[in-house]
Amino acid sequence: MGAVIVITSGKGGVGKTTTTANLGVGLAMLGEKVVLIDADIGLRNLDVVMGLENRIVYDLVDVVEGNCRPKQALIRDKRYDTLFLLPAAQTRDKNAVTPEQMKKLCAELKEEYDFVLVDCPAGIEQGFRNAIAGADRALIVTTPEVSAVRDADRIIGLLEAADLGDPKLIINRLRPDMVKRGDMMDIEDILEILAIDLIGVIPDDEKIIISTNRGEPVVANDNGSLSGQAYRNIVRRVRGENVPFLQLYKNSSIFSRLKKIMGLSG
Amino acid sequence: MICPNLPRDHPALAGTPPGEGNFCGRKLFIKRLFYGPGRNLLLFDENIAECVPYVEESMSKYTVEFKGTKEGVTIYCQENAGFEEVLLDLAARLKQRAVFFGQSKVRIDVGGRQLTEAEQERLADVLAKNSKLVLAGVQTSAERTAEFSPARRRGETDDLKLENCKEGRSIVIKRTLRSGQSIHYPGNVIVLGDVNPGAEIVAEGDIFVYGTLRGIAHAGRGGDRSASVVALRLAPTQLRIASVISRAPDESALPNQPEYAYISDDRIMIAAVSTKFAL
Repeated sequence: MGAVIVITSGKGGVGKTTTTANLGVGLAMLGEKVVLIDADIGLRNLDVVMGLENRIVYDLVDVVEGNCRPKQALIRDKRYDTLFLLPAAQTRDKNAVTPEQMKKLCAELKEEYDFVLVDCPAGIEQGFRNAIAGADRALIVTTPEVSAVRDADRIIGLLEAADLGDPKLIINRLRPDMVKRGDMMDIEDILEILAIDLIGVIPDDEKIIISTNRGEPVVANDNGSLSGQAYRNIVRRVRGENVPFLQLYKNSSIFSRLKKIMGLSG
Repeated sequence: MICPNLPRDHPALAGTPPGEGNFCGRKLFIKRLFYGPGRNLLLFDENIAECVPYVEESMSKYTVEFKGTKEGVTIYCQENAGFEEVLLDLAARLKQRAVFFGQSKVRIDVGGRQLTEAEQERLADVLAKNSKLVLAGVQTSAERTAEFSPARRRGETDDLKLENCKEGRSIVIKRTLRSGQSIHYPGNVIVLGDVNPGAEIVAEGDIFVYGTLRGIAHAGRGGDRSASVVALRLAPTQLRIASVISRAPDESALPNQPEYAYISDDRIMIAAVSTKFAL
C-alpha cells in the first residue's frame, strides 16, 4: 500500500509543478512505482514539464466520470518505466471533480503504486479541496518571500482543519547571496513563523528553468547542480531516509546562532 | 463529584442523536455532566461554554436525598414537600441506608423552611431512632448559599481583596493560530501558541498570547477600555483595544521580552510586562 502525497503552496508560481515532477522522477529513479496526478484542471502544466504533452489521450476528468479506466489514462514516462502521469483536463474547470471522487481515485491508485503525488493548483478553493481530499501526507512549497510564507501559513491551517496534519516544508528558490546580505528571508525566519518540519531547501538555479523548458527534470541531471542535489535529497527524505541538509550558506556559525538565541542580532 | 461521562441512555439525551441533547427546548451539545453545589445536576453546554442546571424529573420518589460531601453526609429535604412527609420519608430511607452510613456525622438541609424547636427535635428523634448517624447540624438553604458564595468558591482568603479584579469566561486555545483563522469570543482569550500574521483574535475581555503575536488582536471589543493585550513577543500587525486602534511601526524589530498593551489617554501604550506589573 503506497502513500498519497499532495504538493501544495497556496500561492501560485512558487514551484509546485516543478517540485512534483522532480520528486516523481527522483522516486522512480530509485525504483519506486509512482503516479503523478495533475489536479490543476483547466491550467495543466505537469505534462509539459514532464515532456509528455503529446501523449495525452484521456485525463483526470475522463477517469472520474468513468469514460475510461484509470490505467488507460496513465501515461508512462519516456525514461523511467515505473513513472506514470495522470494529466489534468484542459477544457474543463475545477468543478468537474469532487473531493469524494478524488478520494476514491487516490485510494485505488495507492493500492498498486508506491507513491501517488498530487500537484495541487494554487488557491484555496475547489481545486485545493479536491487535491487534498485523498492525501495521506502533504508537502508545502514556499519561496523566501513574505507573501508566499503568508499563504503557506494559511494552507497549513486549512490542512490542519482537514485533519491532514504534520505537513513538511520545502523552501524553493533560496538565494544564498541575498540571504547573506540580509535582503532575503532566511530559513530560520520562515521556520519561526510556519513552525513545521523542513524537508528540503532548493537554491535558486537557472538550470531548473532550462530543464523545465526542455521537459527534463533537473533531478535526473548529473551536471553537478546544487538544485538537482537538493531534489535528490528531498526524494530520499520522502522515502524516510535521514539525509543531512546541504550547506547553502555559512550563516549559522555557532557564534551567530548564540547571538540569535540571546536576541543580540536583529 | 464530577461525572465526566454522560451515559448515552441518560434521559437528557433521550430521542436525540449522539452528542446532542434537549434542554428546555434548547439544543445542547452535551459532553459532560456535573454535580453542582447542592444536589443539582449541571450540564456542560459546549455552545455557550457554560454549565446550565439540569433538573431530572422525578429524580427520586422520596422527598429526602442523601449526599456525601467532604465534611460528611448531608440530607437534603425537598423544598415543596410537607414536613410530615419529609419525616416519613427520612425514616424510610434511613432504614434502608443506616448500615451504609454507620456512625458518620450528618447535616440536614431543610431548604427554605424555618423549623421550630419542636420540629428540630422531631427531626433529631427520627434520626436517632432509625440510625446511628450523629446530627452535626441543621441548615437552611440560605446558610447553604452562603457557604458557596463566589468568594469562598474562589478560595479567597480574608487578607486578599479582589475588588478590582475581573471575573469572566475565558477560552484557552492550545495551538497556533495561522493566517486566515480567527477567534471571536465574548470573554478572555488565552492562546498557548503563536498568532501568525493574517490571523485575528477579537475578545470582549483581555487577550493573552503565550507565544508571538504577529496577527491582529482586538481586546475589549464592546467597549471595555480596561482590557489589555499581553504577549510573550508582542509584534502585532494591528492592535485594537475597545475603540482605539494602533498599528505596528513600519520598521520594528521583534521585542525580546514579554509586553503588555493597554489604553492610556486614548492611546494604546505598550510596556514591558515586568515593569508594568511591578507598579
